[in-house]
Amino acid sequence: MNDIGEFTLMVALATSLYGAVAYVMSARGNRIDLYLSADKIPLITWACVMISSIALWKALFANDFSLQYVYAYSNIELDYFYKFSSFWGGQKGSLLFWTLLLSTYTLVVHFQNRKKSLIVVPYAMAIMLGITVFFLVLLNFSTNPFERIPLPPEDGRGLNPMLQNYWMVIHPPTLYLGYVGFTVPFAFAMAGLITKNLDDGWIRLTRKWTIVSWFFLCMGNLFGASWAYVELGWGGYWAWDPVENAAFMPLIVSTAYLHSVMIQEKKDMMKVWNMSLVLLTFVMTIFGTFITRSGLIQSVHTFDEATLGYYFLGFLFFIIAVCSVMIVWRLPLLKSKNELDSFLSREASFLFNNLLLLGIGFATFWGTIFPIISEAVRGVKITVGPPFYNQVNVPIGLALLALIGIGPVIAWRRATWSNLKKNFQKPVAVALFGGAALYPVLPLSNRSEIYTYIAFILCIFVMSTILLEFFKGTIARRDSHEATTVAALGSLIWHNKRRYGGYIVHIGVVMIYAGIAASQSYGTHIEKRVKTGDTIEINDYMLRYEKLAAVQATSVKTRIIAQLAVEKDGRRIWTARPEKEFYKGQKQPVSEVDVRSTLASDLYVILADFSEDDSATIKVYYNPMVSWLWMGGWVIALGTIVCAWPDRLEQRRRLERLKRQEIVFSPAQE
Amino acid sequence: MTRRSQKIVLVFVAVLFMAVASAGSASAGAILADLENALMCKCDDKCGKVLENCTCSTADKTRKKFSKMLESGLTVEQIIKQQVEEHGETILSAPTKKGFNLTAWIIPFGAILIGGLGLRRLLGVWVKKKLPDDGMAEVSDADSSKPTDTTGSSKYSNRLQDELNRLET
Repeated sequence: MNDIGEFTLMVALATSLYGAVAYVMSARGNRIDLYLSADKIPLITWACVMISSIALWKALFANDFSLQYVYAYSNIELDYFYKFSSFWGGQKGSLLFWTLLLSTYTLVVHFQNRKKSLIVVPYAMAIMLGITVFFLVLLNFSTNPFERIPLPPEDGRGLNPMLQNYWMVIHPPTLYLGYVGFTVPFAFAMAGLITKNLDDGWIRLTRKWTIVSWFFLCMGNLFGASWAYVELGWGGYWAWDPVENAAFMPLIVSTAYLHSVMIQEKKDMMKVWNMSLVLLTFVMTIFGTFITRSGLIQSVHTFDEATLGYYFLGFLFFIIAVCSVMIVWRLPLLKSKNELDSFLSREASFLFNNLLLLGIGFATFWGTIFPIISEAVRGVKITVGPPFYNQVNVPIGLALLALIGIGPVIAWRRATWSNLKKNFQKPVAVALFGGAALYPVLPLSNRSEIYTYIAFILCIFVMSTILLEFFKGTIARRDSHEATTVAALGSLIWHNKRRYGGYIVHIGVVMIYAGIAASQSYGTHIEKRVKTGDTIEINDYMLRYEKLAAVQATSVKTRIIAQLAVEKDGRRIWTARPEKEFYKGQKQPVSEVDVRSTLASDLYVILADFSEDDSATIKVYYNPMVSWLWMGGWVIALGTIVCAWPDRLEQRRRLERLKRQEIVFSPAQE
Repeated sequence: MTRRSQKIVLVFVAVLFMAVASAGSASAGAILADLENALMCKCDDKCGKVLENCTCSTADKTRKKFSKMLESGLTVEQIIKQQVEEHGETILSAPTKKGFNLTAWIIPFGAILIGGLGLRRLLGVWVKKKLPDDGMAEVSDADSSKPTDTTGSSKYSNRLQDELNRLET
């Protein structure tokens, strides 16, 4: 099976290369024979990559340690659940997984568009297959997952204990679905540039892809934060690590694109800007991959064998050069009739939203690469850690939060003062009232607490504007359709999916802001060495240390479990069981924290250390409102589903538009 | 937006920033946390965590060491200086705010400021472009000091705009 896997990787490379060339030549020469010959290529490539993937999975499940990859990332004792996820646990497997997703996306795009006689389609297919070729070259000639060990060992080294967590099965695929997904809008944007089809056709063709990729990237970031929270055992969820930044930057740039693209759809403006943003998003995904796989920037997330830096750096420069040349070349065609009725308009607010989003993206990029710049300029290596990002990004983030409230309510084209007053009077009043009510309750002794106070006021303001929008729309629909309030609300959302779906996403974002603000400022922690019967007090909770137990979970894993009774108001409400897990062959034990999560706060308990006399060092964090982050994520998911839900009216409009469009690629008619 | 309201917004933002900037960093009880937040953990080359967040045994030892150093009367600044002398600048969790490192702090805000000014100028050009076509004098609230045209076309445009606004909301 390993030989088959290796062989199909070769076949996939050959077919995708042929497909890329054939698609371009068929479009350029309007050749039906080449077009038809390329028609099955996406399916063949996908099938080959899938067979290779199945071969690797089979080797992992069958403990085939003749493969270097299986030896390095699995062992006999490893749970099947983690054997499955070991597939993307190392560099080689993760590259194969990336290629599998890319070829799957290519296949879906092919089936979606094969009957549309649009000139952009063969070029987009060629670009997607071209990118697939790059990954397949790496897999075949640089990081072959089917590399053999001449004398196979009896057991493998096993998966890094940190990766033996259920989030390992969820987080990387989600993030990769987002990363790889942005290849589709990129391919169509480039195809638009090549073929001079620079109206909003490519945007409409890829709108759903953009939303879905954005959603996966967003959830991938949140799942990563959730994983860090439960696995790394330091009480936090985001450390501004270079690899975390690498996943965050494309999310930020694509968010800017999702907003500014609305201006192009509504007013046919900002073509250059939108084109640049979608290309930049893809560049950022490759930059992220470069960071993870180059070893250039130190990170806990980088792969053990981070040796692909030069390949990705070359690919990155190639893409940047091609994108820049194409944009400059097509600049005359990208020029749009940029006119604005007023500074006070939704268009202007979206542009400022773009400025702030890109500001955050740039600050994060700058912080990530600054150690390299410093070393190059001064010869001194420095660290850029969380204090930098918090100090720089928090004020920008707060300004962005304010714009989340202002943007959707301000009118397109031109808002008048009376219009603004009408829309903002109540939300501002509610926010000020909320601020006044919170003032005596919240501590304001340091910068972080003041920021949090401002964040809360802005959260109230944004929530008020959004809820007021829902309220006004529902009442208007209820009165005009004589429906019940619930039916009117449902109908309002159903008939304006993009708009109200977007509002729901914003509600999720506000929840995340509130969760971050509260947990960063009002969290407390305590560390105490305890013996049986000793207590630890934190906020309203009292933790009584009961016992320590050792459990031999498997032949390679020993669990040391501490048990603490958690009491509140004299009543036992929970039993905390934080652990330390010792893996054979691993120097450092892994902490498994125990968390009691409520809407108001998390009680986060860590077994920091223990002794043979059963005494233990227990660390307890009181983290307010962390659950709001995860809930915000699910609200964003709901909003994205509403936004991306098929809209018959929109589909009808699109069909009519397609009918009106000149058919520029028709090899079948030759 | 009128000049008066622009000024009000600017004053509000300035007051807000001054309030934030003038706020003290942390209470006396949080000095150790400040120190732990200012320094990186040296437990492992790949750890990449600030000392406050690190869970390894080296971090615990370092925390205890710092605690004793603070008790002995050393200030946070003195401990940080000593650590930099021992491990180099890489021990600091953020670039210092002097010399070349200052660029790390200034450039992101500078970029936003320049971008903001550029955007404002661009919007101004776009708004001006629209003016002659519309035949309206009163288009921008930013320029409401100009005389308002109450001719028929303006009235109709305003009415149309009001209806569009109503539709939007």
